[in-house]
Amino acid sequence: MSFETHRRDVLKIGATAGALAGLGGWGLAQDGYGRRRDKGRTEAMPAIDPDAEPSVKHVIFIAMAGGVRSRETFGTPANVPNLQAMADEGVLYPRMRTSNLGHFGATMSIFTGISEARGIRDNARGTDPTMFEYIRKDLGLRQSDVWVTTSGGPQQTNYSYSVHPDYGPKYGANTLDGDGIFNREFKELLDAYGRPKEMEESEQDLLDKVRKGIGRATDAAENAAATENAAKVEKYILEELTRGTSALRGANSGDAKALRVARNLVSLFKPKMTGVVLQNADVAHGSFNGYSEVIRRNDEAIGEIWTAVKEDPELAYSTAIFVLPEFGRNKDLNSRRGLDHGDGSDDLRYVSGVAWGPGFAKGRVVKDDVRTIDAMYSACNALGAAPALAKGQKLKSLLA
Amino acid sequence: MQERITRSKSLLRFAFVMVALVLGSAPSVAQSGADNDAHSAAKPLPLSQSGEDDQSGAVDDQDGRTVARPVHALDHHMLRTVCLDLLGRPPLPAEREKWIDKDLRDFMKESTASLEFWEHWLEEQLYYFLLINNFRPESEGVQAVPVKMAEGRLNPRQAVHRIVLSPSFEMRNPGADTFVTVVMEQLAGMRVQKKTRELEIGKALYDGNPGVFLEHRGDSQADVVKICVESREFAREFIAREYERMVHKEGLAKSLSSWSRTFHREPVSYRDRVREWFVSEEYMTRLTEQHPLSNRAFVNALHVDLLGRMPTKVEAEPMREALDGLGDSAPLRSILARLLLDSGRVPIPKKSAISDPRKWAASLFPRFFGREASEKELNAVCGALDEPFCRPSTILYALLSHPEYHRF
Repeated sequence: MSFETHRRDVLKIGATAGALAGLGGWGLAQDGYGRRRDKGRTEAMPAIDPDAEPSVKHVIFIAMAGGVRSRETFGTPANVPNLQAMADEGVLYPRMRTSNLGHFGATMSIFTGISEARGIRDNARGTDPTMFEYIRKDLGLRQSDVWVTTSGGPQQTNYSYSVHPDYGPKYGANTLDGDGIFNREFKELLDAYGRPKEMEESEQDLLDKVRKGIGRATDAAENAAATENAAKVEKYILEELTRGTSALRGANSGDAKALRVARNLVSLFKPKMTGVVLQNADVAHGSFNGYSEVIRRNDEAIGEIWTAVKEDPELAYSTAIFVLPEFGRNKDLNSRRGLDHGDGSDDLRYVSGVAWGPGFAKGRVVKDDVRTIDAMYSACNALGAAPALAKGQKLKSLLA
Repeated sequence: MQERITRSKSLLRFAFVMVALVLGSAPSVAQSGADNDAHSAAKPLPLSQSGEDDQSGAVDDQDGRTVARPVHALDHHMLRTVCLDLLGRPPLPAEREKWIDKDLRDFMKESTASLEFWEHWLEEQLYYFLLINNFRPESEGVQAVPVKMAEGRLNPRQAVHRIVLSPSFEMRNPGADTFVTVVMEQLAGMRVQKKTRELEIGKALYDGNPGVFLEHRGDSQADVVKICVESREFAREFIAREYERMVHKEGLAKSLSSWSRTFHREPVSYRDRVREWFVSEEYMTRLTEQHPLSNRAFVNALHVDLLGRMPTKVEAEPMREALDGLGDSAPLRSILARLLLDSGRVPIPKKSAISDPRKWAASLFPRFFGREASEKELNAVCGALDEPFCRPSTILYALLSHPEYHRF
């Protein structure tokens, strides 16, 4: 049975009966898109696009990459109590179609909205813009408003931006690999050297003056652009190193760090967009039990992010969360009692994703086929950006 | 009779002139071991100028013969760039002293014969296969690669074969689909989406089933690797990526084809190829370009430029891994620079001990940027040093965090 509703009917109801649609839980009037009217005054908003997603203010987009079957997530709810709870309050897509393009290619496709094969160990940026670039360019966001945390090493930093001539590095996301930075070895090195000393303002001014006086004229612009964001990132890294992130261990330590860093970034900076790329589920090749454990632990960490969002008044009613794998895994175990990904089965080609947020439907299960590349389209739309070159389309039946 | 004497004198004069010409183009004794090629481009002084001041930069050496300036004389910029491209680090202080104004060919000959060249080569191969961090091979077979290559007991094809057969490679690429795909893509440069049949055959071999993979019979995972490594496609892919790695551009198709054919026949010829690349026109063009400094090279540069030595593995790997963990590593590079400068380990002169600030400032530019400072830059630095709260480390930090330090 399809749970499709007619969007335009919903729009009519929302537009004409906005005041009756109910006050939001925070006591402020809101229209049918979840946009707030502060103290009786409607905030200045662009004309309503009937096809637009509700205008959320923050998006957390989690690519549960590493290859995760639906059987071990929503097919085994005990493994994913938090994701199940999120699905109960949001929209579940159990038939997200994907392509086995290798981890790197398939995950890149999720962020670009274009399915394109990439070499498994390709370590170069893509040619198609990512959702981070669309959002930054369309909405005029600073780099510090868009973050990606990763767990799979240097290759994954390529998700932050492309080499597309109309987008590229100036619209890229801040990218942090949790395990790369926040690990015991790096912390020990910093402890051995001692932390860098704080610079006095006068010395900082002098530093800027010297930098401007050397090199080419174009270097000055590069200096200035980098300085503001760099200071923020520097400060964050040094602070995060004092928290417990470096000490995280276990089967999903890389993923756990990426998720912990994301949680802290969301709480501290409240970015417009926070992407998270996981990887540890790929341990499945050699161990089914290890893979299941990774799923359970990652679900717990995702639950912590969700809780942090719900407990923050600024984020609770303005944040949307999307979670989906890049592809599944084989139907049958391999000779090592693990699960590879290459048999072309439905277990590999169809995954389950969930979307939760203001204005989204609640408790809906969309059984129609959608594609993993559609998720980024909806995420961009939710913030008001239009991914012009993406081939995906909005997720069906997402809105309430 | 008179005519005969005149003719004899002419002959003698001619013979004398010929001997003078030959002596003028002979290799200098100081440059023992140099290839003849290295000096074939050195022009002998025209007769009319013999004994006159040479305008071409030739220098009288101690035994009275003139020595032509090398065609590719190393200046600070060239030396820094070549060291970074070839060895992944800038020149050590002793190397700057030894090699400035010397011939690039000689430098190439010495450097490519060194153990360090092969150690760096191995690091680059491991990075290419992403066998880093937890996937870094620790097996004796792989650890021994640089020594064996320096001793000529292993060639690059054999070395790559050894790397790909290591347990780390299997761990990095688990499962038939991933393993065979990576081998086909990274060794032979194939796009598996266009070779699905070969992929399936390769996977069957991986599982121990016999088959004909890339036109060769095999029945094991090891055969999948062997067949790819011994293929012409491997030679093409290897040469193309090595050229691009060092020269920072794609090679011309015709040249790549010729080089890869030679490499396929004689893998030991790789070193000669590298030497050729660095004295080619294309590399001279590369010297006019600027390319971003990789994270590994930055860590090495920081240590060489500040401490006069390479970092140890314990120092380098956590730093490189942390830098690789950032999409834009600039903020963390800045932290690492300050970390070293404030650590007390870098020999930074006290401000009061700098008797000639201008001279001290001028010495920093060849060291960090591979070039001389302009007057404007010296004024900027010295102006800052005049300020009471400016420390010498502030100047060093300004240079290390300047965009120019992160290009080469």
